[in-house]
Amino acid sequence: MSQAKIAPRPAIEEVLADLSETTPTRRTEEVLREFHEEADIVKAYDARLVARLWPFVRPHARGLYLALGLLFLTAAASLVRPLIMRSIIDAGSIARNPQAMVKGAWLLLAVVVVEQSLSFVQIYSMQMAGARAMADLRAHVFRFLHGLRLGFFDRQPIGRLVTRVTNDVDAVNELFASGALNAVGDLVRLFGIVAMMLLLDWRLSLIAFAALPPVALFVNAIRHGSRKAYRDIRTKTARLNAFLNEQVSGMAIVQAFGREQAASQEFDETNRAYRDANFRSIKFEATLDAAIDMVSSMCVALILVAAGMRASSIGTVVAFIAYIRQFFEPISNLSQRYTLMQSAMSGAERVFQLLDHTETDAPANLRMPGIEVVPVEERELAFQLDHVDFEYKPGVPVLHQITLSAKRGEKIAIVGATGSGKTTIASLLLRLYEPTAGMVRVLGRDVQSYERVQLRRQFAVVPQDVYLFPGTIVTNVAVGDVVPDRAKVEEALACVSGLDLFARREGGLDAKVDERGANFSAGERQLIAFARALYKNPPILILDEATASVDSDTESRLQRALSVLMEGRTALIIAHRLSTIRAVDRIVVLSNGHVVEQGSHDELLAKNGLYAKLYRLKSTQDAERSSVA
Amino acid sequence: MKDAPIPTGLLAQFRRHAKSYLLGTALLAVYQTLTYAFDRGLWYGVDMAIGGHQKRALTVGILLAIVPVVAMGVRVLSRVLIFNGGRDIEYELRHALLDRLHLLGPAFYRKMPSGEIMSRATNDLTQVRLLLGFSVLNSVNTVFALASALTIALSISVKLTLASLATLPVLMLVTRRFSKSMFSLTRSNQAVLGQMSDRVQASLAGMRVVKSFALEDVEVASFQKVNEAYLDRSLALARLRGSMMPVTQSLSAVGLVIVFWYGGHLVLVDEITPGGFVAMFWAMQRLAWPLMALGFVVGMIARGRAAYTRLEEIFQAQPDVVDGSRRPEAPVRGELEVRNLCFSYRDDAPLVLDGVSFRIPARGSLALVGRTGSGKSTLASLLPRLLPAPRGTIFLDGIDVCDLPLEVVRQAIGYAQQDSFLFSTTVARNIGFSLDDTDTPEAQQRIRSRAKDAQVLEETLRLPDGFHTVVGERGVQLSGGQKQRIALARALMWQPKVLVLDDPISAVDARTEAAILDTIQREAERRTILLITHRVAAAQRCDQIVVLDGGHVVAHGTHNELLRQGGLYARFAEEQRLEGEIVTLGEREAAAASAGAA
Repeated sequence: MSQAKIAPRPAIEEVLADLSETTPTRRTEEVLREFHEEADIVKAYDARLVARLWPFVRPHARGLYLALGLLFLTAAASLVRPLIMRSIIDAGSIARNPQAMVKGAWLLLAVVVVEQSLSFVQIYSMQMAGARAMADLRAHVFRFLHGLRLGFFDRQPIGRLVTRVTNDVDAVNELFASGALNAVGDLVRLFGIVAMMLLLDWRLSLIAFAALPPVALFVNAIRHGSRKAYRDIRTKTARLNAFLNEQVSGMAIVQAFGREQAASQEFDETNRAYRDANFRSIKFEATLDAAIDMVSSMCVALILVAAGMRASSIGTVVAFIAYIRQFFEPISNLSQRYTLMQSAMSGAERVFQLLDHTETDAPANLRMPGIEVVPVEERELAFQLDHVDFEYKPGVPVLHQITLSAKRGEKIAIVGATGSGKTTIASLLLRLYEPTAGMVRVLGRDVQSYERVQLRRQFAVVPQDVYLFPGTIVTNVAVGDVVPDRAKVEEALACVSGLDLFARREGGLDAKVDERGANFSAGERQLIAFARALYKNPPILILDEATASVDSDTESRLQRALSVLMEGRTALIIAHRLSTIRAVDRIVVLSNGHVVEQGSHDELLAKNGLYAKLYRLKSTQDAERSSVA
Repeated sequence: MKDAPIPTGLLAQFRRHAKSYLLGTALLAVYQTLTYAFDRGLWYGVDMAIGGHQKRALTVGILLAIVPVVAMGVRVLSRVLIFNGGRDIEYELRHALLDRLHLLGPAFYRKMPSGEIMSRATNDLTQVRLLLGFSVLNSVNTVFALASALTIALSISVKLTLASLATLPVLMLVTRRFSKSMFSLTRSNQAVLGQMSDRVQASLAGMRVVKSFALEDVEVASFQKVNEAYLDRSLALARLRGSMMPVTQSLSAVGLVIVFWYGGHLVLVDEITPGGFVAMFWAMQRLAWPLMALGFVVGMIARGRAAYTRLEEIFQAQPDVVDGSRRPEAPVRGELEVRNLCFSYRDDAPLVLDGVSFRIPARGSLALVGRTGSGKSTLASLLPRLLPAPRGTIFLDGIDVCDLPLEVVRQAIGYAQQDSFLFSTTVARNIGFSLDDTDTPEAQQRIRSRAKDAQVLEETLRLPDGFHTVVGERGVQLSGGQKQRIALARALMWQPKVLVLDDPISAVDARTEAAILDTIQREAERRTILLITHRVAAAQRCDQIVVLDGGHVVAHGTHNELLRQGGLYARFAEEQRLEGEIVTLGEREAAAASAGAA
């Protein structure tokens, strides 16, 4: 997926020639399958992946050991059951001893209860160990993601990362919920059953064993078919839902292009395939159920045959038949577990592939020359960019040789057209990205010598498009505090003259904030972000002014708030409003990644260069905005 | 393509699938009769064996061994018939659901958010299917099984029947409770999983803020809360699932003890024969599952009906735009006229468009200029009736679009939205959206040439898989400009008589803009063009320009006329001239700075 490593561009003709070689249909299907992550069959067991999972499991391994121990006990109990039945029936049919029968019945009840209770403990302790391990893995992946560089997220579809944390880890959990250890249990059972049958009556066993392989093969064949059907059902479900979801969100386009019929046909293909896969699955499941039913009925009939032939005692025959019936279960289970193990392994594969990324965010380089080396006069600088070059994509430079600094308490505005690199400068100060050349210093120290948190604690950032987290107004202002300081939140909101505005809302400051703050206007979001900055109270403020027009009441609130916010702080402002531009100490004009002018408002106007033109444009735009209002 | 619509009523669907349901029911009856016969034979055979009639027991045994084979076939068939019926109805309802959604307009989608629609299309449809498959089969089967088992049991011994039935109602109640708690726990488990993915989503989408404010630890802590809640729910679910078997098995074992204890006693006092005892034991065993299933079914029926009511809301939602019946006699030429058009989204809302009129002759071009929120996009959506256009306001070749079939209107008037929504499929299929087959060499050739017209060919070829790269929601992330140009290529591919382009060049640089405008101008020779734009450079290439402000037409004329009039258009022109100057000057000074540094 990495776009960072784009191979040297082949000539277009070459690509075209290459494209025409493969038939588009096949190619498209391949690409789409890969996109929907419908991976082909993977191994059901991969030692390398299991070894990587082990560190997460180890802390909870006691549950697994317990489960393993209990597996043997429950298997033993289920092996004993037919023997008790034998003694009951023989007591009835041979000795005609009702007391022995009832005693046997009680014993059977006791064994069943004990077996079932133990198996509950066994299953539960295994699932608990698994679920806890997976919760740890999930937390690990989440924390890992937060340690990655911002650039990583520019290239990754977020939906997919969310899937890694949720669904993929859930798939791995199947290893415990129904997976690996129980397969061991199934094998133990199989061997136990064979042994018991031989012990009971070796001649009958030999006859039975002759019949068992076809039965096992039959079960396996059915399971194989139903496994394929199940896999189809899963991939088709995902595609059905994705398709429907997209139809709904893109409905206006479908209708405008008149593609309803075509979409309906495409949907029908998947819908039909889904139904047909279900038909197959129904057939297999019904056959398997009915087959088990049939075999047990036939076994009962065979008791009569055996009785007719005066073979062993009826009790022995009944017990023997019980073993034959038990034989089905582990075979059928083993086959089912195989499928789940496969999806667990592919889940683990995807999770660990994500964890293999190495783009750590802003690691502190502690061997850097520290504060001592910085000349005294530079310690007076709040921040400084020193001949900085930067590019997001190799070969596409964004900043060239930017040199720019601010003394403590100084207010600087950056102006320039869209795409001139203004926001990038702010990102470099926070070390969200690394410059390709040059040095960035904050409070006299190279940003690389800071611990990440320590560096970012120096800044408050108010972005152009304010991001609000789901929660309340209070939690959004006090972002960063697990327990918000309410008084401080109110104070911050009051300072940016937003307290009355928000207190008026239904729910007051505890009003719910929807996803991305959709229930707040752009101006309100901006005010919340101002309060957020004030609450944090750092020495340096970075403000990316919103371009969206707001009503005049909010506008005046924002202007008042801004002056409060800048007071006593160093400020770097990416300015769009004239009032803001005039209020700063110095203006830096950026064009195509170069600093082309620098100075105070009056100096730059006198110079009659780029700034003067920009200023005139802003004036006409502002005039127009006020004429609208 | 005009198939009879699929009936969406439950009863109608039942009638449609009556054959499989009736046949399935008949087979269930046959199956339960066969098991009845089996029990009878067992009763007799065991008595024979114990009574010393070995030969007869052997014969009965061999005959009885054949019955299950037949029964198995019948059983499989009954299940396949009824379950397939349920699946087929699910398939048809899902099909009908999408068809209905295709008919509904923005008024519906404003009321029902897409998450809600999806939940109905998945969860509710599943519940309805369970009602039509599992519930139907098991209700019928339980009735037959009770009849078959009780007939044999009562003829063996009324007292023993009553005694062995003792645990069965309990078993049914227990499963009913299990099924209830299982359903609510599963739902809440899914809800927490949903919360967790929202949490992760919010945190990753806000990564820039998270990093800027060094919120990583707080985020991890708040994730940990949901993570633990999910752990709790999962374990509660595991506990419930795990306890189901022990409880039901122990209950069955208790039943077994009763049969052994009381039945053994009855055998010894010669009230029943040993064969009767075995047959009774066997009959009771096979009643366990049908009764447990009934426990599941009770809840399922209630949920299935509630789910169907929710689906019905979609099936019965009325589209606000309906087909007209007048088929045009001649092929559409592409003359478009708007006459005194007024529109508001709701009756009580202010007018978005107020008395808009203009006329574009076939193969003419018109630019619609105005600020954000002036009503341009609303007007464009009204033209192909994506919104309910009032009668007597929009005319295609002189015919009111409300009188024409929707299909004709939308084929003739192509509106390429401003929002460049792409589907999660390959670039080629996105561009070829209006084609029926995108995979023919000819189609591929056209897709490529459209991409070239929209100035996106080179960038497409540089994508990891070229034209086969999957884009859209979760695919490779494209820049806003790239998406816009792919959407433009999609619109160019379409070739309607009237092409309405909504701000197709807002996110491109000046050079690309000029090339795209050349393309649009070429298009204008072949079709009627309505271009919505705020760019004067684009507007001035059109035959006429309409300036919209606050839903009114404030000016109408050619580029030069409007410039002379002054006003909004002239201000736009001045602003954009300045912007152009700034860009050129900026580039020059940047180049100079670059040279100075070197």
